[in-house]
Amino acid sequence: MSISRQLQQLKRMDWLLTVAVVLLAIGSVAFIYSASYRGPGQPMPDYYRMQIGWFVVGAVLYVAAAVVDYRWICQWATVWYVVAVLLLLLVLFTGMKVYGARRWLGWHGFGIQPSEVAKLAVLVALSYYLFHRTLEMRRQWATIGGALAILAVPLVLIFAQPDLGSAVILTLVTVGLLFVAGVRVKHLVVLVVAGVLAMPVMWLRMREYQKARLTVFLDPDRDPLGAGWNLNQSLIAVGSGGFGGKGYLQGTQNLLGYLPRTVAPNDFLFSVIAEEKGFVGSVCVVGLFAVILFRGLRIAAEARDRLGMLLATGIVGLLFFHVFVNIGMTIGLLPVKGLPLPLLSYGGSFVLATMTALGLLQNVWIHRRNY
Amino acid sequence: MIISAASRDNSPRLAIVRVGIALGLLFLMVNLFHVQIMDRDRYGDREQAQSLRRIRLPAARGEIVDRNGVVLANNRPSYDIAISLDQLGRVSKRQDVARIAETNILAMSRAIGLPVTVTDENIRNHYYRRRPLPLPLWRDLPAATVAAFEERAGNWPGTDLIVTPVRQYPYASLAAHLLGYCGKAEQTEDEEVENFYYYQSDSTGKQGVERAFDDDLRGAPGGHTIRVNPSGMKVGEVGDKPAERGNRIVLTIDVRIQQIVENALAHTVLPAGKKLCGAVVVIDPRNGEILALASAPTFDPNVSVVPLLNATGSPLLNHATGARYAPGSTFKPVTLLAGLESGKVSASDTAVCGGGLQIGNRRFGCWNTHGHGRMDAFTAMMQSCDVWFYQEGMRAGVEAITRMAGELGLGQSASVDFAHDLAGGVPTPEWKREHFNEKWWESDTAQLAIGQSYLLATPLQMANVAATLGNGGTRWRPFAVKQIESPDGKTLQITQPVVLSRLSVRSQNLAVVRQAMLGAVQSAQGTGHHAAVRGLTVAGKTGTAEFNKKDGINRAWFIGFAPFEQPVVAVAVLIEDGVSGGHVAAPVAGQIFAGIFKSSLETTGGGPIYVD
Repeated sequence: MSISRQLQQLKRMDWLLTVAVVLLAIGSVAFIYSASYRGPGQPMPDYYRMQIGWFVVGAVLYVAAAVVDYRWICQWATVWYVVAVLLLLLVLFTGMKVYGARRWLGWHGFGIQPSEVAKLAVLVALSYYLFHRTLEMRRQWATIGGALAILAVPLVLIFAQPDLGSAVILTLVTVGLLFVAGVRVKHLVVLVVAGVLAMPVMWLRMREYQKARLTVFLDPDRDPLGAGWNLNQSLIAVGSGGFGGKGYLQGTQNLLGYLPRTVAPNDFLFSVIAEEKGFVGSVCVVGLFAVILFRGLRIAAEARDRLGMLLATGIVGLLFFHVFVNIGMTIGLLPVKGLPLPLLSYGGSFVLATMTALGLLQNVWIHRRNY
Repeated sequence: MIISAASRDNSPRLAIVRVGIALGLLFLMVNLFHVQIMDRDRYGDREQAQSLRRIRLPAARGEIVDRNGVVLANNRPSYDIAISLDQLGRVSKRQDVARIAETNILAMSRAIGLPVTVTDENIRNHYYRRRPLPLPLWRDLPAATVAAFEERAGNWPGTDLIVTPVRQYPYASLAAHLLGYCGKAEQTEDEEVENFYYYQSDSTGKQGVERAFDDDLRGAPGGHTIRVNPSGMKVGEVGDKPAERGNRIVLTIDVRIQQIVENALAHTVLPAGKKLCGAVVVIDPRNGEILALASAPTFDPNVSVVPLLNATGSPLLNHATGARYAPGSTFKPVTLLAGLESGKVSASDTAVCGGGLQIGNRRFGCWNTHGHGRMDAFTAMMQSCDVWFYQEGMRAGVEAITRMAGELGLGQSASVDFAHDLAGGVPTPEWKREHFNEKWWESDTAQLAIGQSYLLATPLQMANVAATLGNGGTRWRPFAVKQIESPDGKTLQITQPVVLSRLSVRSQNLAVVRQAMLGAVQSAQGTGHHAAVRGLTVAGKTGTAEFNKKDGINRAWFIGFAPFEQPVVAVAVLIEDGVSGGHVAAPVAGQIFAGIFKSSLETTGGGPIYVD
């Protein structure tokens, strides 16, 4: 197939989904600008320009991931998986230490986060694995065991970084995939109970700052100047935004630096939007994500095969958990985690990973049942 | 390849996922609604509370001037050198601020030759609690030091010359007791301190006019709202309400008369070893305006009064309104007027003074132990014969005397405008029974008639007695504040003279009393002769009230008014340990009359006189 023939297929993509993605990308650049704005004439970091660059590269990946048949991509699942694990190993030994965690692989100021790559690779690997397992009664535990084995290696490496948020999301997505793959609910319940029982072991393995985040979540005023600071300031930012917000570039929480400048453009970008655009802005953001998620589920339902269905559902799950955990975190519903908001938060690896995932979603749609 | 039918088998599970995601997003929306709509105000308040700071801007106090506009109290600029830690924090790292500040302060201290006054701890405290405010290092610097600083100010970033108003009294101790003094205001009085994050207090009046008219003088503090970042550094200004200067108080005092009075009081001639302590009040008998009021010992309100708070002689006490004394013989005009009004006493009644009078089983002496001989009302007043007044006082009766004393304002506060003046006390038989559980004896009436016994009055009250007798029987409320003006000169309030009462006496009786008082000064034999001034008709009465017979302490008094025909000033002089009214108090009054009427005496040659 020639490249132009392949690009022709783009006409068949889900345009509404693309529109939602583009709107969120525009919002991302606009509010990253606001999050780094320091006042008229003040020097500011040019994150927003970087983000434009990431979206340009992301658009290429979006198109590429959309047109190359997902079945072909998934045949190489083992390769992606091995590459991801190697990157995770590499980051563990040579990665840059930022805030006590090794999550970055960097060359001369240019860095990638292998855990973002790993999430996608694990998703593809699991989809491909589950697609090849026939889920007969007798072999259900074997299927579950295989899936958990695929999950285990990257999970341990991500947990060791430590990147608790990504580890939790990856686990949730795996359980979700097992569910839609048809594993019996009884088995899943056993799995979840086992996981809950394993929690205390996790707690012992956690670093002090992670424990602090979890306990502060229960009572943000316990340590208002320490671990509770981000949570408190984010809540104040979102709450004081009110119905209509304080106006673009007018968010004082963000402008004065109460919302710490290190996290405002990435993990707490939603707080900036909610402060400056109020509840209206929040509704728009959640609404655009709803468009993407429900279109994604439709794509899963209309997929040509189980592989497409599993892949699409996994991508939707990945996006949903990110959105839920991130927004939940900004309003104190969930413990503060270093989890970015898809398409909005600043960050190269995550933008590229998200755009690739969305491209794959379009891919499943383009090659759906009736074509 | 597995056929598409496989995915169809899973669509119920996909539907469950769809519902799960829908519920998840709904959960987020409900919580966002709660935080942004329901709890909006709570978070809005928290946002304001943490990022807005209100700084109180103290107002400059209003001026106090005399009746002719001579400034008695105003504000002068104090040049202070201060360091702004806030500005330092902007150019250097947080942990370095205190160190850099200390280095700069030390360098400045060497350059301007003044010792360092703030400690490391002061700096740190200021940095953590009052960061947006400048930290004063040296206050009230002389011009040369200011110039030395200005020359090199550029070397020390963050330092600044700030100008703050300081209360100043150009005439130093002049009229100090009437003006009062200022001190640092307590924060809690009537202002909500919580409104201000950074409270810069202003000074408040602690005594006299400064205190009584504090509401007018203090003005309205301004507010300055700034926005701060999480480090407490100022990032912008939100709003400003300038402070409003206080109102101007115009006093009834005349600086010229006040100076004459204080000069005369200071030059009171006392025997060696006696300390001067006393008071003088000068009132305009035509309306109650206080023309001068002095108390000794005095103080300089420009200097901190703290060391004086418990000093001997009570320099801060206004002896004219805040201390009570037996009026002694200055009460005799009251006794005479009461007797004449009662109809039981006549001016021509005579008594033979042999130096004392036997009342019951006790003998009461006259101050002149040799005896005055035959006396009538005029000679008795002139020479202050006690025997005549014992006799006529008992004849008039205690009731008539106390009623007249009350009519003249004794025993009650004059409710002057600048102080809580004391009421003094007029004893009555009921009062004595109540306080001593004793009968009122005839001898008590005799003692009351000469202003002793339990009778107590303030110099201000006695000045008003003189004024009331002088002006023909109208008792005005004494007052010291003539009018109040806004800072831009608009008249806000003019004090209307208030008639407290008019004496219900026959004019011929009052004329007798006034005539008798004239003789007491004008006659060569009068005890008050030392108050006489050539070319001026002065009427008055001396008083020497025994306070402590053993130590020989007497209250020396003189009350009087002039000119006799149309009085324009009434005076009361009291010297606490003054030996004799005639020899100590009367000369002071004489100097005062001479001083006040000097210019008019020179131009008119002693004719009818009118000041003001």
